[in-house]
Amino acid sequence: MVNIWRLTKLQLISTFGFNKALHTRDAKERRKLLLLSIALLLGVLMIAVFSFGYSYAMATAFEQIGRLDLLLAIMMAVTSAVGFFTTVYKAGGVLFSYKDYDLLMSLPVKTSHVVASRVLQLYVLNLFFTLMVMLPAGAVYALKVRPEAYYYLLFVPLLLCIPLIPIIAATVIGALISWFSSRFRASRMINLVLTLLFVIALILGSFTLDGNEPELADLGTGLAETIFKLYPLTELYVDAVSAYRMDAFLLFILLSVLAFVVFCTVLGTRYKAIHTGLTTSRAGGKYTMQPLKASTAFQALYRKELRRYFSSSNYVLNTGIGMVLLLIMSVSLLFTSPEQLGQLADIPQLQRYLNTLAPLFVSLFVALSCTTSSSISLEGNNLWILRSSPVPKHIILLSKVAVNLTITVPITVVSCVLLMISLGTGWADSLLLFMIPVIYACYTALMGIIVNLKLPKLEWTNEVQVVKQSAAVLVAMLLGFISLIIPAGLSFVLTSVDGRVIMLGAGIILAGLCAGMYRYLKNAGERLFLGL
Amino acid sequence: MLTIRGFSKSYKGGKKAVHNLNLTVEQGDIYGFIGHNGAGKTTTIRAVVGVMDFEEGEIEIDGISMKKDPLACKSRIAYIPDNPDLYDHLTGIQYLNFIGDLFNVSRKDRELLIAKYADAFQLTPHLGDLISGYSHGMKQKLAIISALIHKPKLLVLDEPFVGLDPKAAHTLKTIMAEVCREGSAIFFSTHVLDTAEKLCNKIAIIKEGRLISEGRTEDVKGENSLEDVFMELIDHG
Repeated sequence: MVNIWRLTKLQLISTFGFNKALHTRDAKERRKLLLLSIALLLGVLMIAVFSFGYSYAMATAFEQIGRLDLLLAIMMAVTSAVGFFTTVYKAGGVLFSYKDYDLLMSLPVKTSHVVASRVLQLYVLNLFFTLMVMLPAGAVYALKVRPEAYYYLLFVPLLLCIPLIPIIAATVIGALISWFSSRFRASRMINLVLTLLFVIALILGSFTLDGNEPELADLGTGLAETIFKLYPLTELYVDAVSAYRMDAFLLFILLSVLAFVVFCTVLGTRYKAIHTGLTTSRAGGKYTMQPLKASTAFQALYRKELRRYFSSSNYVLNTGIGMVLLLIMSVSLLFTSPEQLGQLADIPQLQRYLNTLAPLFVSLFVALSCTTSSSISLEGNNLWILRSSPVPKHIILLSKVAVNLTITVPITVVSCVLLMISLGTGWADSLLLFMIPVIYACYTALMGIIVNLKLPKLEWTNEVQVVKQSAAVLVAMLLGFISLIIPAGLSFVLTSVDGRVIMLGAGIILAGLCAGMYRYLKNAGERLFLGL
Repeated sequence: MLTIRGFSKSYKGGKKAVHNLNLTVEQGDIYGFIGHNGAGKTTTIRAVVGVMDFEEGEIEIDGISMKKDPLACKSRIAYIPDNPDLYDHLTGIQYLNFIGDLFNVSRKDRELLIAKYADAFQLTPHLGDLISGYSHGMKQKLAIISALIHKPKLLVLDEPFVGLDPKAAHTLKTIMAEVCREGSAIFFSTHVLDTAEKLCNKIAIIKEGRLISEGRTEDVKGENSLEDVFMELIDHG
């Protein structure tokens, strides 16, 4: 057991680069840590405040029908669903794709313990989210119900168990996909395609579930039944926490721990075989010299970067999922009228919002697809190749920007055309719908590369640490959201101003920012890149 | 070909890794740079190839200042670090073509030189395989080929013989002698003193960031073996 903790600790201290910053003598690094900690704390506070407000509003509604226990049920189900969804497409990467595999596996540690440490890494990261959501929800419940002391005694231990089963379920799927892919020569590509298909199926499946959900007006038994049917552990959880049932409490803990132990033990028996299948490429050894094609440095760098992107399922899944979602939504809107969609989402004025905010709606998915914020960090130990090459460094940086635009712009344009058709936008709205997301794509890509230059993470053992958990990715995502929230907020607040004027203003400002960032990369790119 | 004048490098916290280093590598030289672990070899090499910034001193490649025109300098240099991490997701030939593009090597030249050096290192049949499947030695060979295909005026190699099998090590020595005969120069670090003694016409020994001996190999070692001289200088120099 102590080895599991040792291995987990080893992985966690490198997350977010805290260990490096804590032990460095460089004051700049320490400042970065401080700023990052403040940003993280702000993020945590924002989610906690949002969770508290949302829980309070829901609790007020549930209070009227005498079912405050549904608050805990819903928040627990949401936490579990988010945990499952965010883990499913990184599980394979965390379990199998890490650089220190040989080192770890050569240590006198059981394979199942190595697996356990990988799962616990996912668990700890999800636990933070669980605490941010469930603690405020639990506090609201306590404020409203004034429960007995039992509540607190049961609530806290179960809090620690909530993320376990969703994570195990997600890692089972990740491991199964990895196991299946490992049997083929093109294992990485098959892994990527299968995971992507699973996520798409999950999204489409959730649309179907939305259609069958009772409306908020029919709260009560119907809603409870739906939640309990969707995720049976919710019922067990509610029974334990709000009805103080010790059998439900013990069963919940037992099931969670058992799932963890069984998964680690079973995967431990096939772990090495799967890893070998996934990481071993068959050497042909039959190459004969063919005519080669010469190209410019930019083209060569662009091609290299594009190959890098598609060679990593972690990279594609974490940055490409936004584009996949956008395409699915745009296509599905062709078959669903905005009125129907409004009824489905319980937002009566959806049509109006969609027409005004469609450019920002599309841009949200663009902002989620920032490949540049991790593209420099992913160079890792290969950085010497680019640094010693006789190529102006801004060309290297712009080749990474070009790859990001290749991922976002074509799908954005197609989706915008589909949205123009389904929303029946006029020429002015169509023009904005086309221009604003493209400007956001440029903004996201340029901003991402600058953020990554400022916050590089070149020492990593697992790509997930870079594409999902690095400071640059978090900061770039935050800046992307802020740039979206401001015009969206202004559209809601300034009701007397035409929404299109606000969009146009936002577009002009962002285009100006893009021009500024481009100039900055051209002028300071060399210095920043060599300073990495 | 390479001139280092008054080069010093301090790390954060004030510790000097290299102190007032001066040396000159001329056309045709095979220049061995030796010293114990942490003596400052890699720091010097990284500054020479322009991957590490420095404040004190001047480094010139072919008469061009690394500080003033790093791109012109880099286009004349080939560098192989001590542990060449290459792009695992590319095949060997894709990597060589990529380097050929960065160094603006003509299609004809790169085909000719890749064929020549890949055959010499017996790597041609594996060029179509992903680098992730290469052994350490194969990666080292690929890195060496990538360094040679753009006909550099100065080859800077950090521990180039590590990981090579005896035949590949022999091939590399032959090629090193050949490129220097053709007018290039080589500046390389090594711990293999026997190789340095046989291969280099000039030697520099660095200890705790300072050059403690430098010159023609026969002058540095005199009547003794290079190993004896090195041990004497390191222990008592």
